[in-house]
Amino acid sequence: MFFHIVLERKIQLHPRYFGPHLRDKLVAKLMKEVEGTCSGRHGFVVAITGVEDIGKGLIREGTGFVTFPVKYQCVVFRPFKGEILEAVVTMVNKMGFFAEAGPVQIFVSNHLIPDDMEYQAGDMPNYTTSDGSVKIQKDCEVRLKIMGTRVDATEIFCIGTIKDDFLGVISDPSAAS
Amino acid sequence: MNLAAESPSSSCSSGSTDDFAAFLENEIEAQIEEEEIEEEHIEEEDDDEIEIAEHSNKRRKVMDDESTDEESPLNTVDLANGQISNGGNVVCAHPIIIRNLCSHCGEFVEEAGSSVAFNYIHKDLRLGASEIEKLRKEDLKHLLKDKKLILVLDLDHTLINSSRMIDIIPDEQYLIKQVEEGKETDDPNQTLFQLGRYHMLTKLRPFVRTFLKEAKNMFEMYIYTMGERAYAMEIAKLLDPGDVYFPSKVICQSDCTTRNQKGLDVVLGADNLVIILDDTEHVWHKHKENLILMERYHYFASSMRQFSSGIKSLSEMKKDERESDGILATILSVLKRAHEMFFDPKIGIDLSSRDVRQILKLIRQDILEGCNIVFSRVFPSTVRAEEQPIWKLAEQLGATCLDDVDDSVTHVVAVVPNTQKAEWARDNNKFLVTPRWIEAANYLWQRQKEEDFAVPKKVDK
Repeated sequence: MFFHIVLERKIQLHPRYFGPHLRDKLVAKLMKEVEGTCSGRHGFVVAITGVEDIGKGLIREGTGFVTFPVKYQCVVFRPFKGEILEAVVTMVNKMGFFAEAGPVQIFVSNHLIPDDMEYQAGDMPNYTTSDGSVKIQKDCEVRLKIMGTRVDATEIFCIGTIKDDFLGVISDPSAAS
Repeated sequence: MNLAAESPSSSCSSGSTDDFAAFLENEIEAQIEEEEIEEEHIEEEDDDEIEIAEHSNKRRKVMDDESTDEESPLNTVDLANGQISNGGNVVCAHPIIIRNLCSHCGEFVEEAGSSVAFNYIHKDLRLGASEIEKLRKEDLKHLLKDKKLILVLDLDHTLINSSRMIDIIPDEQYLIKQVEEGKETDDPNQTLFQLGRYHMLTKLRPFVRTFLKEAKNMFEMYIYTMGERAYAMEIAKLLDPGDVYFPSKVICQSDCTTRNQKGLDVVLGADNLVIILDDTEHVWHKHKENLILMERYHYFASSMRQFSSGIKSLSEMKKDERESDGILATILSVLKRAHEMFFDPKIGIDLSSRDVRQILKLIRQDILEGCNIVFSRVFPSTVRAEEQPIWKLAEQLGATCLDDVDDSVTHVVAVVPNTQKAEWARDNNKFLVTPRWIEAANYLWQRQKEEDFAVPKKVDK
């Protein structure tokens, strides 16, 4: 789920940037440091929307770096257990399939795929129902439910299921009318 | 929030809707609280990280608590029909564990347990024993339906030969020139490659491309090497540029469960369908019966030196194995034969109870069928003859080994020509051959001409 929250971070700045564009340089450094990272508490920082407040800088002893506490607003993405998401299938193998919902990778094991869907190996491995009406293969969209999450430094990994009602394929990669 | 509340309500009883929505609300409130706390305390960056770890543990614990209240996935399906039964937990067997998360119940699973790591399929994937069994059975069904067996291939000295650039001797410098020229042209039949990242030269064994193409129709193939993953993937790319032969099937040293031993436990296929092609016997301790031993491919001088000195390698002699009747061609015909015999519709036994090991045994016993062999000074008379490797090899190949000469003997195997038994062989017009004759029969799967392996007559004094 996406949240728009205020976070705080201490940014260190090298003295060479102390000039008329100090604030801009600070914001640029903040963006470089924070966008695209991930934390257990907040999830994946998608984008910084604005800087709320920049506190007074503190010069560190020994080095000439200055530390600014910056409060900024950002959009974060954090998947929760029990949440329902739409994702795009990236890989199918006999263990299950992998899908991606933005920066988050989700694995749905074959145990959590409805029993009537069978794995078919081949050029384009897929899971198909016995009558061939529903097919899960690469690049198709699925709606799934998150069963568990794990957060690393740079990415979030989830386990999902499609074994419930209203879950499963939303659309095919080959646009069928 | 509305959407989240509505969709479960239509499928589950009202009790679970409250739980779900309440849970979501709790999470969001907890987060808002944390942010307020954060604004009040300004922490050092180091403390931040520790806190993040603590909080993420707390978050996990919160979720784990929730999970013990909620149903495991098996029971959520039941929720559509019935009531929630709190506390009616089904213990999850964690069949598939990926990045320490059980893909069945979503719980964080520590290492160990009865799971085996399958990093070659996907990073950080572990499979429980029951899941491996299930996958093996499914695989068996599919393979028998497609009329395919499983082939496990070794890389070094079996399909290719590699050498480090620094080990190239002066006589082999012409190879480096060849490689440079090869890089400019784009010859599809190029067999000599440079592995840029490792400063190594690799030579593909003659006939290997045709071998792989033909084997693909009969076998599902795996690469199993004692090299490192990066090296194995590079070679796989050379052998299989289209990724059709070994998709996600490259097993390397880090996947082995026992050190210095290769095992079929990381191959997701039934043992009775596997044929192994390798040049080293001792790494396949547990699966000797599935193994077809290959003659080593020594193209580079450095590789030859490792195993024996004095003999010139193929590159020094500017020669190469013949494509038409080289080792790979011979082995391919043996594999074709084994495949034919396995799927022979005339045999009455059910397909799933057939064993390719039995088939290999039968084919082997045909090779030296009818030969009665006596050994002369091949091994010391103090040891038990029946336990000597060459004795056992000859018996495997279908010959009968005897301790002493008598009328039924057809071959005398000797190293020097002037032993008693050798004289007897010459007097009685029996074949007198070196032990290499038996080894050759083993590598080439065919009885060789005895004249090619005759014991050289010693020069008379």
